[in-house]
Amino acid sequence: MKFDLVIAGVGGQGNILASQVIAKCAMDAGYNVVNTETKGAAQRGGSVLSHVRIADSEIYSPLVPQGQADILLGFEPLEALRYINMLSKQGTYIINTAPVPTILANLKVDEYPSQEQMIAAIKDKGVSGYFLNATQAAKDIGNVLLTNVIMLGAFTRISKLLPPDAILQMLLSMVKEKFHADDKKAFECGQRLIQV
Amino acid sequence: MQKQFMLGNEAIARGAVESGVKVVAGYPGTPATEIVDHCAEFGVYAEWSTNEKHAFEVAAAGSLTNQRAMAVMKHNGTNAAADFLMHINFTGIKAGMVLISADDPGGLSSQCEEDTRILIHNYAHVPVFDPASVQEAYEMTKAAIELSEKTEVLFALRPVMRINHAGSMVTFNPDAKPEVKKPDFVIDRSRYVMSAVVEKELGGELRPKMRHRWLNEKQVELKAIMETSPFNWVEAGEGETGFIGCGIGYAFLKEAEQIYGKKLPILKLSTLPLPEKKVLEFVKGLKKLVVFEEIEPVVETLIKELCFENNIQLEILGRDTYLPQEGELSAGFVLTALENVFANKAYPVPVSQYIPARTRTQCSGCSHRGLLIALKEVVKKNGGVVTGDIGCHDAGTFEPMKLQATIYCMGSSIPMAYGIKAAGFDKPTYALIGDSTFYHNGLTGLASAIFNKANITVIIGYNSTTAMTGFQPHPGSENNLTQDGLQPMDPGVVAAAMGAKVFRCNPYNVEETIKVINEATAETGVKVVIAEALCYLKFGRENKISYTFRNITVDEEVCNGCSLCVRTFGCPSITIVDEKATIDYSSCNGCGVCVSVCKRGALK
Repeated sequence: MKFDLVIAGVGGQGNILASQVIAKCAMDAGYNVVNTETKGAAQRGGSVLSHVRIADSEIYSPLVPQGQADILLGFEPLEALRYINMLSKQGTYIINTAPVPTILANLKVDEYPSQEQMIAAIKDKGVSGYFLNATQAAKDIGNVLLTNVIMLGAFTRISKLLPPDAILQMLLSMVKEKFHADDKKAFECGQRLIQV
Repeated sequence: MQKQFMLGNEAIARGAVESGVKVVAGYPGTPATEIVDHCAEFGVYAEWSTNEKHAFEVAAAGSLTNQRAMAVMKHNGTNAAADFLMHINFTGIKAGMVLISADDPGGLSSQCEEDTRILIHNYAHVPVFDPASVQEAYEMTKAAIELSEKTEVLFALRPVMRINHAGSMVTFNPDAKPEVKKPDFVIDRSRYVMSAVVEKELGGELRPKMRHRWLNEKQVELKAIMETSPFNWVEAGEGETGFIGCGIGYAFLKEAEQIYGKKLPILKLSTLPLPEKKVLEFVKGLKKLVVFEEIEPVVETLIKELCFENNIQLEILGRDTYLPQEGELSAGFVLTALENVFANKAYPVPVSQYIPARTRTQCSGCSHRGLLIALKEVVKKNGGVVTGDIGCHDAGTFEPMKLQATIYCMGSSIPMAYGIKAAGFDKPTYALIGDSTFYHNGLTGLASAIFNKANITVIIGYNSTTAMTGFQPHPGSENNLTQDGLQPMDPGVVAAAMGAKVFRCNPYNVEETIKVINEATAETGVKVVIAEALCYLKFGRENKISYTFRNITVDEEVCNGCSLCVRTFGCPSITIVDEKATIDYSSCNGCGVCVSVCKRGALK
């Protein structure tokens, strides 16, 4: 058994916490786990790609090889597009459609692609998956910082590797108790948003 | 033994502490930084030195005093410490000692891409371990310390970003009981005094030549050690093309082999000097050899030499002859190489498609942004040039600030600012440097400027921390790595004592900062402006900020959507929505610097 996950997002979206929740759950389930992050100045709004590799045998590289990821979670559409080639042809993506414009796009040095352009470019790659507006769903619950939890909930709908409840409990063990009620709501919302 | 998930840097720290390392010194630099932090947590003497050369000297002195030691730095730091490296290699060490020199292939978090194995091995003739995994980084740290003590030669560990910052399950020994050594400095001038002294006992030979011979003779012993090292091994496979995976190159090679689906002849090679017999045995019967290493063709070239000396005809491909000569390896990179080598094709030119990049900038609420915009105003009027330095403020050279005209290495800003004047440039020059960098390698540049009667303005962003690498303390802080409540060394006081004319401003006040920089510019000689304000990202968490919080609003009647605030200022909390400046209150920290940027007064 070998399972490769990549999470693409922007610094501050909780990408690394989400990857740690899954990595720790996999370790508790007895798997071998290797992870790393490819990040620019993450704290300053840079691009962040988390790699989580889970297997019941030896794992050599901390980086998921290009075209080998079983699942890509895109916390932001441009970052999903940037790393869509990480996904295997048989892989599945879940992509949050809410854009985070780049500094250079705000300055009109670059053009931030339209949502339609990004979705079309991703669909063009011949891989399949789901789009959802996790940011809006998180705002509806009351806090945009719940975006990563929505994405975690959604993840549990397409991967049978780890029990959803184990992932939720691991998440709750890593965040302050006052956030637990909203975290549960967001997790369940993420699960509902994916119709398998 | 116990198994635990940990990052490469923690594994290296554990390996060192389990080996009985008692003195650890480093200077922060990605990807090596956390090693020193972990050592401090494990309770051994650990310090942030002012620069890597001094860290190396502190650690080496620990070794000479019979305590095991470790010096920690990133590749640029090893460059800064090269002078000491080229002496400690010749004297040798006493108690076990390892130099950690972390490379950053691809320059993911660095000013340059380089391979410090060349400096450490080819140049200084110091043995190098190149780990292929986090587990191996832990084991190699221990082995390096043991072997250095046995041979009296300094050993180095050269991890790359993908080792330092990778997490993995590591089997370690929490109950290690390393031998407790008595601190003892035994004077041995024939070794520890590196000088052009005549050695009477050696027929009047000069000591530098004698120590050089000692190091050369040591290579025989080191080669024999590497021949039986557990870090090098051969894996049998099909075909007449063999593959060598060095360090992390082996990890990528194994991934690519699995995807390729055929068992390949592989030599896993992680030591310098090379295990020459093992290499010669491996290449026997091969027609072709491909070497995967980060990042220069170090092993490739050594193997070519070895084959030439042994009259072996073999096609050898690697970074020098076949693969891209720049950039980071990956499994995809190795797989592409495998497919094309077997098809007898050239390595394809990679096609890349530009996807809008996310560039680095100052944080919302960062004091540097006020300083940068003020200095930009000043040079816009007087045509001055700003030489830059390393630190968070270096993002001032990108869009939209585009201020600093040069960025080289730690401390370059000051000598370069007056070098431009020495060449006859008739407008003002400004050296922009951070506080940690000032103490790292700015002090001597400032002394040189003052001594040589330069006419420049040096601006020190004094935010009381090494923010770029994660808030390590420096001599201008109130603490060091392990002690609090220290008297900070104010860089302005230091500069004044050196003879500079010192000015002060709070960079959150842009008008005041412009005025002070202009006043300094008008004076002749070496002027130092201390732009003093705490790092918001670090000290904001402790409720210590150097500005009065303002709830920023946009007067929509006044804002005409000119976007000056976005185009010239670039605070991530301001965007233009429907032709009006819009504040993102979830990220705005209310520093108020933007207020002075809007010429129409729409930001309040």
